[in-house]
Amino acid sequence: MTSSAVDPQQLVRVRRRIFLALFTALAVALHTLEFLLPSPAPWFRLGFANILTLTALFLYGGRAAWVVTLARVGIGSLVVGNLFSPGFLLSLCGGVTATAMMTAARSLFGRHIGPVGVSALGAVGHAAGQLLIAWLVLVRHPGLWQLFPFFLLFALGTGIANGVAADLLLDLLRSHAAFQPAADEPK
Amino acid sequence: MAVTAVLRRMTWLDRVIVLILLLATGAAFVLVGKGPRGARVVVEQQGRVVFSAPLAVDRSATLTGPLGETLLAIRDGHVCITSSPCPHKVCIGMGHIARQGELLACVPNELLVLIEGEEKEEPTHDLISR
Repeated sequence: MTSSAVDPQQLVRVRRRIFLALFTALAVALHTLEFLLPSPAPWFRLGFANILTLTALFLYGGRAAWVVTLARVGIGSLVVGNLFSPGFLLSLCGGVTATAMMTAARSLFGRHIGPVGVSALGAVGHAAGQLLIAWLVLVRHPGLWQLFPFFLLFALGTGIANGVAADLLLDLLRSHAAFQPAADEPK
Repeated sequence: MAVTAVLRRMTWLDRVIVLILLLATGAAFVLVGKGPRGARVVVEQQGRVVFSAPLAVDRSATLTGPLGETLLAIRDGHVCITSSPCPHKVCIGMGHIARQGELLACVPNELLVLIEGEEKEEPTHDLISR
């Protein structure tokens, strides 16, 4: 990292952009991988892609998290081939609810909340958002709500697991040379 | 241990949030487990409806199957089978039901007692055509 000829402000900006692009690319890859895994119901997803949203949120703030989520859902659905289908709608609404809850929690509680708590909130938000849209658009059947507690429990488990994964990734990234001048990150 | 490793990665607020969410999940299990009350009793025999009555009115009914007569009682919004000619009396042992979707079955006498909800308009088109 000996680029003394470059304006440091610009260096930070370019780095941020590159890392965001990397996060988005990884999130798309995980989104696609998850689509290939068999699952008992369309909404029992592991939510690995959320790890990257969390990382972006903790490194670069709420706007970065929104960028990663929306880009991931859009590009991921293109890759998978279900753009504008019911599955896409589920992903989109789940993703939007989750990101809204996570950014809200982060800005409300700031340093007191860690990746695990944010991730658990996001996973539960994802579950609720998806089930709500599934009920509104796809299956207007009261039996759907019978599924909700199982769905919630599952989401909580994956949320905690993803939070731990994001925390590990954050540790790894923060010890990396590109993140050494800690002054340039919004805390 | 894995649990302590996870706990070390959580702040106090994380733990509180996880605990609250866990409680909410438990509450959801309890709430959903109850389900809505049914409105009508329907008895089917080999796929045909042979008897139907509202749950709200107390009465008893005699249903005839291949083995003989099964006695059905509706009391206080609950349905139960009070007597049956079948050998093991499993249907009597199933107790009483009141919630939508619950059922009593007497396999030897080929009777299926179902609880149905309020009549509702059925969607005329399926998931794909929406």
